[in-house]
Amino acid sequence: MLDHETQRRIELFLFEEARLLDSGQFQEWLKLYEPQGIYWMPSQPGQTDPLNVASIVYEDHAILSIRVQRLLEARALVLTPMPRTTHLVSNVEAEETPGGEFKVGAAFICVEHQADKQKIYSGRHSYQLTRLDDSFRIKMKRVNLMNSDGIHSPMAVPL
Amino acid sequence: MDHLTEQQPLTAADIRGLVRPDHVHRRAYADAAVFQLEQERIFSKLWIYVAHESQLKKPGDFVRTRLANYEVVVTRHTDGNIYVLQNRCPHRGARICMADRGNAKVFSCPYHAWSFRPDGTLDSVPHRQSYPEAFSYDDPQNHMQRTGRVAAYRGFVFATLNENPAPLIEHLGPMTEVIDNLVDRAPAGEIEIADSSFTLEYRGNWKLHLENAADIFHPSFVHNSSVQPARRAPANASILDQDQTREMLLANGFGTNEWETIQLNGLPGGHAFMNNIYSKGVLVGQDTDPVAVRYRAALTAKLGPERTAKVLGVNRFNNIIYPNLIINAQYQQMRVTVPISVDRTLLHVHCFRLKGAPDEMFHRAVRFLTTLGSPMSMIFSDDMEMLERCQQGLEKDVGPWIDISRGFGMEKRGTDGSVSGPASEMPMRVQFKAWVDYLTAEAA
Repeated sequence: MLDHETQRRIELFLFEEARLLDSGQFQEWLKLYEPQGIYWMPSQPGQTDPLNVASIVYEDHAILSIRVQRLLEARALVLTPMPRTTHLVSNVEAEETPGGEFKVGAAFICVEHQADKQKIYSGRHSYQLTRLDDSFRIKMKRVNLMNSDGIHSPMAVPL
Repeated sequence: MDHLTEQQPLTAADIRGLVRPDHVHRRAYADAAVFQLEQERIFSKLWIYVAHESQLKKPGDFVRTRLANYEVVVTRHTDGNIYVLQNRCPHRGARICMADRGNAKVFSCPYHAWSFRPDGTLDSVPHRQSYPEAFSYDDPQNHMQRTGRVAAYRGFVFATLNENPAPLIEHLGPMTEVIDNLVDRAPAGEIEIADSSFTLEYRGNWKLHLENAADIFHPSFVHNSSVQPARRAPANASILDQDQTREMLLANGFGTNEWETIQLNGLPGGHAFMNNIYSKGVLVGQDTDPVAVRYRAALTAKLGPERTAKVLGVNRFNNIIYPNLIINAQYQQMRVTVPISVDRTLLHVHCFRLKGAPDEMFHRAVRFLTTLGSPMSMIFSDDMEMLERCQQGLEKDVGPWIDISRGFGMEKRGTDGSVSGPASEMPMRVQFKAWVDYLTAEAA
């Protein structure tokens, strides 16, 4: 089990990520990722393969940068008006790997409000974090959406 | 209006009155009575794609899908034939199959355990002795009801509720070429549908998506928000996809010259296609691309150089088989439109594996599916937003006519259909001409 302080630091790191997404600071959000960090939202429960199985999102830093610019500057149609979100992260369980990285699991709920529609997303996050000074960087974030293989309308803001 | 009042059924004259050569009445998209007629005269009468044979290899394999207003199970029986069964137990009417696909020796109703073979026939009922003596296992009334007719073209399984349909091959017409091309691209001569797919929902009429897929005027506007960031992004920066995503985003930002070379084709029956819009990077199969080189070698070993060049030279985009199937052979992609109600539509988005091709070819097809077909697509999510906004506008009874006049009178008409430049709304006019024909045809 992790010492209390490291556990707490990891939780605060996840809360910071949620706050950056909720406040629309997507550039700052992207900075939480390693230069080769990956954001992965599988399309199937229990999916292990991002090459032979389609993903809702499977993007590294370079592609995420395009996505973030689209969120920030370019006024994508699906983002007008810009959705407002509340990202809740809870049930945080972390462990240190032999390589000195951290494996973190957390439950999430995200409520998204846009124009006259409100949507709820939920599921579990799993992270691979690396240490950077007093904080962490995301090597891999996997978003296991509860209804990953369900029927979807367009999704706008990262979970 | 009193809800018990019988609504007058729509007449052929009513339908003809909704379509002018260059305009369409908003009721075509927003009137539930029109939608009901479409279900009867289009989705019940035409050949509708229901499954791919690679999903139905073994006896008992099944796919659950929709045919007109019905939920059906498409099965492979031990006799080798494919059947389309109503997903309803004849005993108490309960839905039986609750999975989208799988394998079942029998379909067993969980209520009172009647069970049925994959051809719909009754396999067993518990406590047989308590049923009347006349109760017969052979009576079709006690079977999962077989519905419609089934026909396949090179692995693509279609069904229709029409008792007297034109042959499938006749309905497909020249669109068989795109199915041929997709299958011919497989070095082993066979394709397999990928296990993973997306189902998207939009709050809009099914025709809006079909029209959008034939419209190459909108991308410069609708997709600008992904074209611009992709233009600013450095090339080959991604470690994941050989720049495929960025190239796909870029492709919607046409130069005037390349855009002007795109040709639109509209065919009798409402089918349409256009020239390909992806012209760079891993989407093209260049000689500098080791995957493309290996793939071409595998295909050449099977087909010889001349035929390989011909097969790979087919470069058509968004091949729309009326009323609900869109195929992109060169990227092994397929979209199936499923109308749910006048203002609600599902899209199943699939990709295929070319058997005998390098694994990387399939990875690219999966990547294409993710980039364009995912609910978080940086391209198609904006299309869906526009389809919904169209529906929201069309539901309001203001200025009933909407415009499909761009390029009207400028298309070239031949025996095989119409050809136009990229700015034309000719494909929509072709779709609506077919729509009127189908809706006003005398019941067979």
